[in-house]
Amino acid sequence: MRAFGLTVLLFFKHYFRDRTSVFWGLLFPLILMSLIGVAFGRGESVTFTVGFVRGTGPLAEGLRRGLAEVPVLRVVDEADEATALEALRRGRRILVVVPPDVAGRSGPAGTAGAVGNTGPVGTLRVYFDQARLQDARTALLILDRFVAEANLRLTGTAPLLRLEAAPVAGARRLRFFDFLLPGILALTVMNSGLQGTSWVVTEYRQRLVLKRVLATPVHPALFLGGLVARYAATNLVQLAVIALVAVWLFRAVIVGNLLVLAGLAVLGTLVFVGMGLAVSTVSRTPEAANLLGSLLGFPMMFLAGTFWPREFMPAAIQPLISALPLTPLVEAMRGVAARGDALTPYLPGLLYLAGWGVVAFLLAGWRFRWE
Amino acid sequence: MTDPIVQVRDLRKRYGTLLAVDGVTFEVRRGEIFGILGPNGAGKTTTLEMLEGLRTPDGGSALVDGVDVRRDPRGVRARIGVQLQEAGFFDRLTVEETLRLFAAFHGRPAPAAALLERLQLAEKRRAWVRTLSGGQRQRLAIAVALVHDPPLLFLDEPTTGLDPQARRNLWDVIEDLRREGRTVILTTHYMEEAQRLCDRVAIMDHGRIVALDTPRALIRTHAPTATVALAVADELPDREAPLAALPAVRQVERADGEVRLSTTDPVETVQAVMALHRDGTLRFTQLRVEEATLEDVFLHLTGRRLRE
Repeated sequence: MRAFGLTVLLFFKHYFRDRTSVFWGLLFPLILMSLIGVAFGRGESVTFTVGFVRGTGPLAEGLRRGLAEVPVLRVVDEADEATALEALRRGRRILVVVPPDVAGRSGPAGTAGAVGNTGPVGTLRVYFDQARLQDARTALLILDRFVAEANLRLTGTAPLLRLEAAPVAGARRLRFFDFLLPGILALTVMNSGLQGTSWVVTEYRQRLVLKRVLATPVHPALFLGGLVARYAATNLVQLAVIALVAVWLFRAVIVGNLLVLAGLAVLGTLVFVGMGLAVSTVSRTPEAANLLGSLLGFPMMFLAGTFWPREFMPAAIQPLISALPLTPLVEAMRGVAARGDALTPYLPGLLYLAGWGVVAFLLAGWRFRWE
Repeated sequence: MTDPIVQVRDLRKRYGTLLAVDGVTFEVRRGEIFGILGPNGAGKTTTLEMLEGLRTPDGGSALVDGVDVRRDPRGVRARIGVQLQEAGFFDRLTVEETLRLFAAFHGRPAPAAALLERLQLAEKRRAWVRTLSGGQRQRLAIAVALVHDPPLLFLDEPTTGLDPQARRNLWDVIEDLRREGRTVILTTHYMEEAQRLCDRVAIMDHGRIVALDTPRALIRTHAPTATVALAVADELPDREAPLAALPAVRQVERADGEVRLSTTDPVETVQAVMALHRDGTLRFTQLRVEEATLEDVFLHLTGRRLRE
């Protein structure tokens, strides 16, 4: 036990003396967070800018006022269809709405796709930005819902069902950085294992450091356990610094229990360090290990809901997203950090994550070579 | 005499089609420095690593301090100190931390201060391993091999890549180990190192031991010629023929103002040469008798030089 403690302590020192690695290990997630925050996190929450071509009739006026009341839509008046479409092509609008009285006079034009809704009153034509399909789809859904509501009102039918949405973070509104921070933390945990451990262990093997360790009677469990424990320790320090900077600089708020969050980080460390060890067993050089680690890490980085809600991804790849080991970690850490959730609903996902860890360690144990 | 500390019987190791070690048998006595001399690729390191419990033999047996290397490799590793060829360290640990870490791997506290003093690393104890010179790193490797005070040390080419001074320095360290009663088994491809340090030398070539004895006995048996070198005062145009006819002389060479006589009996040749000197037939200012070296032994046994 004393030997184990000393091993962890010395490995810990060994890591923190590598100033460059420590620096980039902190800076990379923070840069990522600020870039993504700047790109997507403007304002309090998601808004879609919708161009509305000015109509003449009372119906057009009513639609315009109705749309302006939808919280996530920012309605911009457009003088005519041509200027509106120009703004759409330049990416300044996500949708352009053409009211029935204008739509009746002109046909579909331009390169943007168009959807219509024919009925007795008229056609509400909508152009959307194909370059931002995800956002456009979400905005269209909102619009579709709006049109359905409008139809009900226009025909005077009483609604049979009414949707009542309650905010999910209690009394507090979820800001983008509150959402982003847990994703970045989970990503950092993954990278330390997939990129860090795989590189370090492969390098130790190549430089015959592992062989020197093998030449002692030490049990492999003590050495590898020491390495895993040092990753858990360094990750906790790293995450704490990132979280502090995020709270201080980006005003991110963590509402959940910090100890639970730390526990999740340790679980994630075990799993991804295991995967890093497994990667190192099939890599001859640190460079090869790094490449393979990135190959596994990159899809997870972008798909697992790290930077934006996984619902933004096409339905076709949702099963793939559910299968990624990073997804349950992101979801649990986000649930705890941003919404203060209890762990219970996340347990099946965490169990699945732990399963990945078990498989990774079995694979690493089976294939592990000291030289 | 006590039991041998290492007993090796018909040890074999094959890598694919290459017979790296092809039936090696020898014993190492307690307290001696035992050398394994041979060119690169002769099977020295493989032999050593089988004895260290790092590689499983394909055939044969080896007992190290009474422990069977095939049955209990980790038990072997607990009893021996190992310095591996070209093995790396944790770069950003200090010398002292490195000793503490490896002592922990042996499950005991490190006698760091004493060890560092002995290996002349005391002033480097707070330096990162990365900043050490080649000689200092090798001394640290030996310190690491000594943290658990083992009776037997394996040193794999300890002086390869060192400058002459660092090499001499390390030779002193190794001789100290013998003085403390430890047994040392080392490999080398420097014949002068084997000659200077080793009580007995096994010469390996192509996975086999081609000769094993004390350096002196090896030379007597396998390279029986000595060289009588004469520093000649002036030119001696036509004296080579009579020199070649002197007793026991096999060959005459001239180089750098010297005449070098290869002889099977240096005593008789020197007497003959002195006779010529006395009667004025042959003038020389110096006379030197050079013994054959292990290099000559190797050349005689294999037909090749060590470092070819």
